[in-house]
Amino acid sequence: MDFKLTDEQVARRNEFFEVCGELEKKKPANFSGIESIYDSDEGWQYHLNCAKEFAKRGWIALGWPSEYGGQGSVMDRVFFAEARGYYDTPGVDIFGVAMLAPTLLGAGSEEMKREFLPKIAAAEIMFCELWSEPNAGSDLAALTTTALRDGDEYVLNGQKTWSTGAHRSDWAFALVRTDPHAETKHRGLTFLMFDMKTPGITVKPILYMDRGHLYNEVFFDDARVPVKYVVGEENKGWGVTQLLAGFERSSLDAIMMMRRQLEGLVEYCNETKVGGELLAKNPIIRNRIAELACQVEAARALAYRVADQQAKNEMGAIDASAVKVFAGDLSARLARLGADILGPYGQVRSSKWAPLEGFYEKQYQQYFILTVSMGTNEIQRNIIAWYGLGLPRMR
Amino acid sequence: MDIAFTEEQEMLRTMVSDFLVKECPKSIVRELEEDEEKGYSPQIWKAMADLGWLGLIIPEEYGGMGMTFQELTIILEQMGANILPGPYFSTVVKGAMPILDAGSEEQKREFLPRIASGELIFTMALLEADGTYDASGIATKAAPQGDSFVINGTKLFVEMAHVADYLICVARTKDGASPEDGLTLFIVDVRSPGIHCEVIPTMGMDKLCEVRFENVAVPKKDVLGELDKGWPIIEQVIEKGGVAKAAESIGGMQTCLDMTVTYAKERVQYDRPIGAFQALQHIMADMWIATQTSKYLVYMVAWMESEGIPCAKEAAIAKAYVNEAYKWLTDRTVQLHGGIGTSRDHDVGLYYRRAKTADIAFGATDFHRELVADRMGLLR
Ligand SMILES: Cc1cc2nc3c(=O)[nH]c(=O)nc-3n(C[C@H](O)[C@H](O)[C@H](O)COP(=O)(O)OP(=O)(O)OC[C@H]3O[C@@H](n4cnc5c(N)ncnc54)[C@H](O)[C@@H]3O)c2cc1C
Repeated sequence: MDFKLTDEQVARRNEFFEVCGELEKKKPANFSGIESIYDSDEGWQYHLNCAKEFAKRGWIALGWPSEYGGQGSVMDRVFFAEARGYYDTPGVDIFGVAMLAPTLLGAGSEEMKREFLPKIAAAEIMFCELWSEPNAGSDLAALTTTALRDGDEYVLNGQKTWSTGAHRSDWAFALVRTDPHAETKHRGLTFLMFDMKTPGITVKPILYMDRGHLYNEVFFDDARVPVKYVVGEENKGWGVTQLLAGFERSSLDAIMMMRRQLEGLVEYCNETKVGGELLAKNPIIRNRIAELACQVEAARALAYRVADQQAKNEMGAIDASAVKVFAGDLSARLARLGADILGPYGQVRSSKWAPLEGFYEKQYQQYFILTVSMGTNEIQRNIIAWYGLGLPRMR
Repeated sequence: MDIAFTEEQEMLRTMVSDFLVKECPKSIVRELEEDEEKGYSPQIWKAMADLGWLGLIIPEEYGGMGMTFQELTIILEQMGANILPGPYFSTVVKGAMPILDAGSEEQKREFLPRIASGELIFTMALLEADGTYDASGIATKAAPQGDSFVINGTKLFVEMAHVADYLICVARTKDGASPEDGLTLFIVDVRSPGIHCEVIPTMGMDKLCEVRFENVAVPKKDVLGELDKGWPIIEQVIEKGGVAKAAESIGGMQTCLDMTVTYAKERVQYDRPIGAFQALQHIMADMWIATQTSKYLVYMVAWMESEGIPCAKEAAIAKAYVNEAYKWLTDRTVQLHGGIGTSRDHDVGLYYRRAKTADIAFGATDFHRELVADRMGLLR
């Protein structure tokens, strides 16, 4: 067992931290978390600027095979995620880079890899993920949006929902039903990419509970898209989506973001007096911050193990689920702690009255992004119970 | 012992609930949240005055209905269940109640009938920059000048001050031996020269204001209670206000539990209602436990308050317990609704945000746990 990084790794890691630290200085006011990427033009521009900066350095394609512009190792990708998490730096398209690229690498045709991977690596194209539907969330295979073949095209009809960033992205990757008569609901699904400017596609905003514009509804009315952008085979899209489970992220970005938040809280408590006494001296606050610091370190330790497994190409899906659940819940606890420490200021929206730019008022509402999206915490626990512990699966 | 509402109380409860369900649908709640100017509905306000709710706890001789704190918590529970925005809470709990408890006969005659009739909106200006409910947080000063006191300072998180007619301002009139010593309450006309008010944007969108006092002259006759000895009145406000807030919260808890169970029965995933998953059943069972324990705790303390039984410790227990229970329960409510629970269009977020606001009002959990520890006899 050895948690030590090589000198080379340390240097590489530092480089990621330095660049993200520099980019942080250009952050728009009140920018925090994923909602900020999609909510305002300013936030989106910052995301694009960071993306260009990373693309220039070849960092978007870390760990990819070199024939598609890849460089560096899987571990580099992990360190890069840590740095971005720590500084809450956008610039890596969650959908295009973290989800689609590995899917293309695993299941895309040579032609599609050559067409899309370089554009993704160059940050020239941004994606959204059109999977969920009003009646197909956790049970994704229940989806009903149809794509019926008509020559070289599919004709799309139906509705997607919770589509993060669909109002900003250039392209989408979707899961659609190409064979409505298939024997089981998992068959007859196809993983398909298309241009969001296709006529017949309408994007309508849904506001998040804090009134931010993060996700959308997407409607298809006879939208015609080329057949050639199927990933994998027609009617075999379910298997393609399952590939992603093997590419699980380590959650180290979220964990490093929490580490930074703890540092921020320490700083705040060291500067802020209530009743003439520094908050830092309040034993309850000390205890609660220390409690969460322990949990963040525990999360980090397991996340490194997940990352190491990924680097060695061993499937770490169970521990990845464990880290995701733990990190999601931890981020909720941290948001609550931050809001508590701020006292009445914990409820203040970004304004001249808000300490820390209103961060905890937002975070108090936004932590559900971690506990609900990309497989709810309940679904992740099922995965741990069924596949990790081998417990009987309820039918 | 008879742990049940009386027939009259049940009637009140049903009447309030029917009224609010009809008059205050969530579309109105959302509209009032977004309304920067008022944040309350004058029509609903007038209707509530006509029904006698504004004077519910005001004795008949001052134009009220002469009911007890228990009946008030019955109304508040339903208001919490339907999250009615507006100055009811600030007017009755932070205005009428301290005047009833500490006002002179003259003050009672001047203000209580006009509160009962819906003519006056009241609030209390207590918190300051420190954000603490401890006496140490009060730095605003009031200095005598002829027949008046002149107030200088800045108050924060003053609920509904932007539409209030009067506010009860807590200020320091003397540097006493302890922070609790030397505080005085003043009934201040909000139109007095030198008062500046701004609405602070908050998670609950509940119109908490910054109120600045610049040389605001208040006639000496408008001192509420005794000069320099205001702290016990504030302690009462925190004690009863905390229980009143908890009463609102238990209403919200019941609504959230109902919404969750209804949704879990309707929402189908994997070919069955999600309520069939044991993982979720246990969470909902815990939500039931949290709701019932919170409710009966609040009912018990409300009864003690009405009977005049000393219950400073129990009141702090109720506030601390319900704070955590409501926050936890609304978090689970959002989680069990999945994606839709996180959206502005769905009602659960309205409750989720308010649970945090309710926690903060009259002191958050740590503040009240400290009071409990104290009142249990733990040495400092
Ligand atoms: C902020 C945010 C961003 C999102 N972005 C996207 C996006 O870009 N693209 C996209 O396609 N989707 C997106 N989603 C949708 C997300 O993937 C779904 O919300 C998620 O899969 C849950 O589905 P649901 O909302 O339909 O909830 P449901 O599946 O209806 O779940 C409701 C509740 O039931 C529980 N539950 C369901 N099944 C089980 C079970 N078998 N055992 C125990 N409990 C169960 C859930 O955990 C949850 O608590 C986003 C969601 C959020 C909140």
